[in-house]
Amino acid sequence: MAERREIAMTREYDAPREEVWAAWTEPARLATWWGKRGWHVDPATVEMDVRPGGRFALTSEDARGNRMPQSAVYREVVAPERLVIDEPAADNWHGGAVTTVTFTDLGDGRTRMEFRASIATTEEMAQTAAGGVADTLDRLGEHLTTTEHTEEQSA
Amino acid sequence: MATDQLSTTYAALSDPTRRAILARLADGDATVNQLAEPFPMSVQAVSKHIKVLERAGLVARGRDAQLRPSRLEAAALEEAAGWLDGYRRFWEDSFDRLGDHLAKGCDG
Repeated sequence: MAERREIAMTREYDAPREEVWAAWTEPARLATWWGKRGWHVDPATVEMDVRPGGRFALTSEDARGNRMPQSAVYREVVAPERLVIDEPAADNWHGGAVTTVTFTDLGDGRTRMEFRASIATTEEMAQTAAGGVADTLDRLGEHLTTTEHTEEQSA
Repeated sequence: MATDQLSTTYAALSDPTRRAILARLADGDATVNQLAEPFPMSVQAVSKHIKVLERAGLVARGRDAQLRPSRLEAAALEEAAGWLDGYRRFWEDSFDRLGDHLAKGCDG
């Protein structure tokens, strides 16, 4: 059963709103920051048709050559204030999400960026998240991460 | 991603006893009796929990007919845990990097 789970994050950047907007909407700039640390985006793989209904796609790659393609569609484009991006499950590593990014000019050369993602999940996943499973999973995650690092070092 | 399998996995993780069993197994393989020790419930009840974890692919059991020690299936758990946190981590990393990118832009 599909449910939605919300994740919200807010960042303030010491940069004008137009700069932050450009970092999101110009392929060469987006490629410099998109993705987890340890991954990089080849600017040549970035497709951006920044208008409602336009396609947004790119491929990330890590040092070991693992490739992660992502594909999405712009739902709303209101320069330089607001972007809504729909990431269908079929084209992504996660279960599908709609992300809304809002840029607010703080008036002193700084910009507040509010990010809200509505993620497709199942009822069980939502309940598990709400049930405070985080601590146990964190501990297990640490354990698993440690194991993985050990293996990498010995390899 | 196999969403159905993930649903089964998350259903299995939704129970505190089963999460405690997994936490115990993260420290090493254990028999049903060892796993049942800390819980105020019968070995049979704990065995049922282990079966749920097994069906979810989170736990595998050894071939020793007497002891049948359980072992954590790290990959399945990592996928489940990764799903919960992975999405957030993706964006947190990205937004940190965006900050670096913007700082460079303003200096230059």
